[in-house]
Amino acid sequence: MRANFIFSEVWIGLRRNLTMTIAVIVTVAVGMALLGVGLMINSQVSKLTGFWSDKVELSVYLCTKGSPFEPCKNRGAVTQEEKGTLEQTIKALPDVEQVKFENQAQAFKNFQSTESNTLLLSVTKPEDMPESFRVKLKDPEKATAVASSLKGQPGVSNVVNERDLLQSVFGFMDTLRNVALGIAILMVIAATLLIGNTVRLSAYNRRRETGIMRLVGASNIYIQLPFVLEGLIAGLIGGVLSGVILIVVKVFIFESIQTYMAAPLGWDTVAGVITGTMAVGVLICVLASFVTLRRYLRV
Amino acid sequence: MIHFDNVTKVYANQNRPALDHVSVDVDKGEFVFLVGPSGSGKSTFLRLVLKEERPNNGSIHVAGKDLSKLSNFKVPHLRRRIGCVFQDFRLLPNKNVYENVAFALEVIGKPRRFIRKVVPEVIELVGLEGKAHRMPEELSGGEQQRVAMARAFVNRPMILLADEPTGNIDPATSIGIMKVLDRINRTGTTVLMATHDAAIVDSMRKRVVELEDGKIVRDQSRGVYGQAY
Repeated sequence: MRANFIFSEVWIGLRRNLTMTIAVIVTVAVGMALLGVGLMINSQVSKLTGFWSDKVELSVYLCTKGSPFEPCKNRGAVTQEEKGTLEQTIKALPDVEQVKFENQAQAFKNFQSTESNTLLLSVTKPEDMPESFRVKLKDPEKATAVASSLKGQPGVSNVVNERDLLQSVFGFMDTLRNVALGIAILMVIAATLLIGNTVRLSAYNRRRETGIMRLVGASNIYIQLPFVLEGLIAGLIGGVLSGVILIVVKVFIFESIQTYMAAPLGWDTVAGVITGTMAVGVLICVLASFVTLRRYLRV
Repeated sequence: MIHFDNVTKVYANQNRPALDHVSVDVDKGEFVFLVGPSGSGKSTFLRLVLKEERPNNGSIHVAGKDLSKLSNFKVPHLRRRIGCVFQDFRLLPNKNVYENVAFALEVIGKPRRFIRKVVPEVIELVGLEGKAHRMPEELSGGEQQRVAMARAFVNRPMILLADEPTGNIDPATSIGIMKVLDRINRTGTTVLMATHDAAIVDSMRKRVVELEDGKIVRDQSRGVYGQAY
């Protein structure tokens, strides 16, 4: 096997079909990048789910002065006494594992760190923030029952199941992931057909050479290898480009929403995703080349 | 060297056989003309020797191998022992004489050192010394056919198949081509040449096998082209 001979053949083939090669590279890059984004969203969602299921399940907000919530109307802020009985009541519930009290100062601090609306930040004072009990449950599935039993208690303004809030975020991310994966599948099909076409053109352009190679007894591998390598190289370049796109996506999109996510997507995951998508891209290219060769290059 | 036993070949979608119960033996080192009108089965005969086609019936042995038992995987190895020359030369237009001949060795993975040694020898054998770096379009038809013969012979095949090698060449130049074929034959290579060229067949006085409608109508040592008529 003469490596330099095969590589010169590959180079000639890629150069002759430059536009088709570029089309293949771009399709593979975009398709694999979308596949990677889908996978990244997927692992982000599962990370978040894991993160949040360890955290607070229920927030029991207490009345403040002038709170607009229905149970707080016609009464003032929650009293020290009410807080005491409420804490006892919550602790007495069989499904409750842990209770934490969040005072106005802590609530204001949390608010400041997560809210980005500067106008809202400037007009909000610590006294506006509601106090709350953060309740962790033994069984997250019981959240709705516990919430409804606490809702009527005196001094309680509102009970929020944090899971419900997250669920809508997860739902949105699921949709995003499905769209990305759907487009990725279409791109993979497009890439396969494009590679098939490129190899067919390449085989047609080189029919003289391959005819003579057949005649003088070149082995099948020797005849087919340049074509398969063409596919492989195009797939590899496309895969590298998709890796670059994925790194950009990680830095500029995932990193910027990380403040809300609390469970950052690590570089190890990104590296895994990039390796996986590159492998898929190269595999698709090689398989597509090989299958088309069987059809158009009779040996 | 080539042994056809009762070989019949019918192409798909055709009811008349291209070869009809053909039996023929060609020994090592023989020079055989395959003559007959167009469509008589000469090209089919050559294609069967190369295993480009399979017979519907009968058995073919080439270089001691039963072709029906030869796996597709081994066909390239069979073809390395058979050189081929065609009417239309089939040279690579973007490679020069040397590169065209070397190509045949490169694609079967011969080492570069071997190629550098052998190719100039063969170019000299076919009478193209000093033209190794010419491109095919700079050569006459006869010279191009010499390049094709050099390429066919460079791997020292046991058999050389020539399908109307003088078909595109004027009679005067054809004599030179025949001299090269004769020279190749004298090295011990079996030469099987399909041709229409009566003058050449008559002048060479070699074995003549005549086909008509797929059947052998004449097999004569030291024959001429048109004796049967």
